[in-house]
Amino acid sequence: MTVFSAPAPRAGAVFPFGVPHKFRPPPHTPCMKTVTGNLEKDVSALKKLLPAEDIPTFSFLSGGGLPFTAVYADAVTDKELLGEQVIEPLLGYGNDPDPAHVARRISSPEARLKRSLPELAEEVLEGNPVLLWEGGKEGLAVGTKQVFSRAVAEPSTDVVIKGPREGFVEDVKINSSLVRRRFKTGELRIDTVTVGRRSKTVVCVCYLEGTSVQSTVDGIKEKLGRIDIDYVPDSSYLTHFLAERPHSLVKQIGTTEKPDIFCAKIAEGRVGLLVDGSPIALTAPYLLIEDFQSSEDYFVPAYRATFTRLLRLFALLVAIYFPAFYISAQLFKLQLFPVKLLLTIAGSIRDIPFSPSIEMLLVLLVLEVLNEASIRMPKYVGMALSVVGALVLGETAVSAGFVSTPAIIIIAFSGIGLYAVPNLIEVTSVLRLAMLLVAGSVGTFGILLLSGFCLFYLVTCENFGVPLVAPFSPLVGRDLRDSLVKFNLRSLPLRPRTLKSPNRRRLK
Amino acid sequence: MTVSRRQLYFFLACVAPAGKLILLPARLAESAKNDLLLPAAIHLALQAAAVFCALLLCERGETLHDMLAATFGRVAAKIFLTVFSVFLAYAAFLPLLEEKLFVQSVYYDTLPSITSFAPFFLFAAYLAAKPIRALGRVWDILGIVAAIGYAGILILSAGSADYAALAPAGGSGMGILLGVLRTWGWFFDAALLLPLAGHIEAKKGTAWRGALFYLVGSAAVLLFLAVFYGIFQETATNQLFAIAATSKYFSGVSMLGRVDYAFVFLLGLVVLFLSALPVQGCVECLLQAYGREHHLPAFLSVGISAVLLALVLVCDFRFGDVMSVISGTLFWIFPLFSVLVPALCLALRRSHA
Amino acid sequence: MRNFFRSLPMKLYILIAAVLAFSFFSNDFGLVDIQKTAVILAAGIDRTENGFSLTAQIAVPKGSDRTAGGTSSVEIEAEGETVSDCVSLIFSKTGWVPKLVFCDLIVLGEDAVKEDVIAYLNYFLRNDYMPDSCMLAVCEGKAGELISTVSAIDDASSLAISKLFSDAAKKSGKVMPCTLKDFAIGYYGVSESGYLPFIRTERQKGGQNDSLQSAGAGTGTDGEQKIYIAEETALFSKGKMVGLLDRNETLAVSLLKGNVFSGTFNAMDGDKPVTLSVVNNRGKVSLDSRAPSVKLSLSVVVRLCCRGVTAAIDDIASDRVTDDILKSCKETLSGYVGSMWEKLKGSGCDLFFLRRALYRSSPKRYGMWKDDVPFLSPVTVEANVRSMK
Repeated sequence: MTVFSAPAPRAGAVFPFGVPHKFRPPPHTPCMKTVTGNLEKDVSALKKLLPAEDIPTFSFLSGGGLPFTAVYADAVTDKELLGEQVIEPLLGYGNDPDPAHVARRISSPEARLKRSLPELAEEVLEGNPVLLWEGGKEGLAVGTKQVFSRAVAEPSTDVVIKGPREGFVEDVKINSSLVRRRFKTGELRIDTVTVGRRSKTVVCVCYLEGTSVQSTVDGIKEKLGRIDIDYVPDSSYLTHFLAERPHSLVKQIGTTEKPDIFCAKIAEGRVGLLVDGSPIALTAPYLLIEDFQSSEDYFVPAYRATFTRLLRLFALLVAIYFPAFYISAQLFKLQLFPVKLLLTIAGSIRDIPFSPSIEMLLVLLVLEVLNEASIRMPKYVGMALSVVGALVLGETAVSAGFVSTPAIIIIAFSGIGLYAVPNLIEVTSVLRLAMLLVAGSVGTFGILLLSGFCLFYLVTCENFGVPLVAPFSPLVGRDLRDSLVKFNLRSLPLRPRTLKSPNRRRLK
Repeated sequence: MTVSRRQLYFFLACVAPAGKLILLPARLAESAKNDLLLPAAIHLALQAAAVFCALLLCERGETLHDMLAATFGRVAAKIFLTVFSVFLAYAAFLPLLEEKLFVQSVYYDTLPSITSFAPFFLFAAYLAAKPIRALGRVWDILGIVAAIGYAGILILSAGSADYAALAPAGGSGMGILLGVLRTWGWFFDAALLLPLAGHIEAKKGTAWRGALFYLVGSAAVLLFLAVFYGIFQETATNQLFAIAATSKYFSGVSMLGRVDYAFVFLLGLVVLFLSALPVQGCVECLLQAYGREHHLPAFLSVGISAVLLALVLVCDFRFGDVMSVISGTLFWIFPLFSVLVPALCLALRRSHA
Repeated sequence: MRNFFRSLPMKLYILIAAVLAFSFFSNDFGLVDIQKTAVILAAGIDRTENGFSLTAQIAVPKGSDRTAGGTSSVEIEAEGETVSDCVSLIFSKTGWVPKLVFCDLIVLGEDAVKEDVIAYLNYFLRNDYMPDSCMLAVCEGKAGELISTVSAIDDASSLAISKLFSDAAKKSGKVMPCTLKDFAIGYYGVSESGYLPFIRTERQKGGQNDSLQSAGAGTGTDGEQKIYIAEETALFSKGKMVGLLDRNETLAVSLLKGNVFSGTFNAMDGDKPVTLSVVNNRGKVSLDSRAPSVKLSLSVVVRLCCRGVTAAIDDIASDRVTDDILKSCKETLSGYVGSMWEKLKGSGCDLFFLRRALYRSSPKRYGMWKDDVPFLSPVTVEANVRSMK
């Protein structure tokens, strides 16, 4: 038995902001108690472990006069189901305290006999009521958890015109069922890992046995097992622990809200993670090119998919580089403009009180603020905000001579371009700002230098042994068929070599 | 992570030639005039042979240090690698000055202060602090970038050239020889491969394939030189930054502005990495000699970059003098280390033999 | 110590970000941004008693009012011992840093071309920040005055003049534009010759273009609107102007170079003048140096159609150029070519770079004939004229 002791604070110590962590008693002292068969003692021991007021008890007698007590978490237990599947059948039960007989009597498909009281307490917290009775040497946890979940709907972040519209929800069971429904094979493995000392968040590791690389699966499980955090509210928490470069600006774990994309990635040999409480599923290993691909690309003709992928790349490059080059051209290299455009720009900025770089930075910051505010605002306010943003800030600022029209056009174009690849927006918006700063300080040479830095950094990034910018670096010729260009499905008989799947052929 | 054969070929065929498209064409035209292709061809042929030798060495799969130590002992290996790293630092100087002039002229409309170029040394230090084998991955991307940039510039400029200007061949006489002597500083690709020995996934046949790819890149350089001289003819000596100069006569440039700069910037990115390569080679040699303990890679890369920065600052407006020393008085250093040393290294013993 | 090194990258990032932010907001590397720049559109160079006079036409942005449109400009004149002096003076006078990156036209005054022009063109040639693809021309009188005139057809005189040197104008055969680079190649080559278009101005009568008037500050800006003609060609040898070809002789040069695809010229149909359009053209100047003496032959092949002639309705439908007209064309063109060649011989200008061609084909023969080539008389002058239909 582990004994926890906390150092005592000195006499008379006052803690206005709460007791410091080092003086606090350990949050949870493990109890090695087991069910004794004495109902009163067992219930009281269990209630000691679960002193919360929303965990009531319900006592009743069986038909044979055997006293039973159900301990349940009020908010997460389906009481109707508890009555139907547990209490009602037991009302007709005799007085045999044998746990096996009791378990056979109830009509719930999910019933687990457990001897350890802490384990039973955990079951209660998960929403599964625990049944204790006089003379019973084990407690019975019954799966009558009440699931509050929104309906499966199309995710707003990944809308498609053609293709499945289902999206993940916050409940991991529903999400697992969405995945299982798409793979009617025993090769699909959904292994469960619990993460979070207090939240006990369920994480489902999904992969196709024989298709995914086992070392990747093991690596992910090992990394999950090493996480020692008290609370995991969302899957994004886990990405920090799964990434090989946790401080990196660049995304290293794939994310999706759509089960069809999730399953397609698993089918390619990746490993997927479903996290309870999060509608965003994770996939690893992640390739940068994934975010330039949309699920719709696979449902439209290949030439169209190729065109849209190239368009996304173009939009992203324009979004990152356009404001920077514009600034650098104005400050350091006028020759980048044709003469007539130069004179138009010179005319429009003549009365602006700021230098071109500061003007552009201001416009960019205003756009970011508008963007941030409009996402969080209620819809009806959001509409008003758009009007204020577009008309008042844009039009009036130009007429007042605070900013020039070309600056607004460029930032607007850049802002739109960024959303062509929405999954990378966190990275690209920072990169755009960095490029702008460098362009305003060092000019075009600075832009090239920063691009060089980024390039070198990206090509050296790996996660679970898979290079981030594959199939471009290292160049994998065959994988280029489904990269920025998209070949016909019949031309893609093999899984991506980059992912090193042991089962390479997918089309026979 | 090692440098694969494909990545090596990309370097030899696409990346290495990019460094020869800036100041070299004007320098060759200055000495050899319309015969500028001949000294370039002599250099490239010599380098192809040296590359062949260096890659034969790489095929053994051992580092230069291991082979030197096996043949002459550890102390001699240390001495040789230190001397060789000094050569690479010396060889780095010309590309750095070239890059500085290129940056000041092509990326700015008015001459900027040296501080604008200083961030390059941060970049060089960052690259040099990383393992040299990571370069292979960059070459995968840079190979394609260089090919696009080169093709773009060539397409925009080929139509403006008068190729008859290259005639009569051989008319420059001693100028050809002078061209060879004065431009040694641009040809030391084989020497850059020696620090990579042991980090290349080489197997039998890599050497001759590598030399062949180098010749493909050489052909591209010669074609560019022909276009360059065809456009500028007698004024070629005045066109210091060839890649930024040849494509400006394309008719679209007058309407759309300098659209050709898109390709110039692509090649500029390649040249950026290429200019830092001798510094990386220099650091790698020192690391092979003195080990990779603690923070030595970072210290060495920052130290060497700082020294080079200081030298560039000192020689800021003395490019002519530096050139006359490097390509005049001390020209023999380059053939010694970039042709003779790779050839002599073939005599080294294998460490496990 | 270990902790220091562990946190070093983060400290470095913060330091770099701080330096970057500082330089971004201070925004001063001694560089010249768009707001401090004088965008020079054209430069006129004249010879003065003490050196040079440079007149720069500087574009003036019109502000955010887009209804005005167009380009306004101002002309600044500076005198100095060298061209570089003059450019510095412009900076002193205006407070704007003159930038030549957009200078698309350099005009040389009549006095300036009496001596080796490379002496002052060298400034532009060796300037890394000046495009050598800019047009070069000679003008009647002072270049400064030409630059400062008010154009009847465009906002700035330089823009109007640049139109004369467009590709379309070149195809008409009426003008022979030349860039700074091409002129320098001719000068530094073995031919040591070159040509430049010669610009004259004409007063535009009844021009109504006040709203587009240039804010001219130089001399000669009396508000009179001018149009520009560049149909003549100045001949250069060793950098000096040595002769002037008239419009017909200029056409002959263009025809011999094979540049003409839409030009016109007049011939006679009996006693009536008739205008003919050149639809297609090939020209050849060949030098045969194999013989004991070097032989020169000129040949022009022209495909024509008739324009501006009174004809019967059937003839208009067939649009035939009659044999008489063709004969007259042949005589006319031979006359133009002959007259042009005589001027070349008289000036010593190797306009067709024959010495260069000879050197490229055989340096030995070049050594033998180099002094004779510019003064050769053609053995044959062939004008092959064909009707399009």
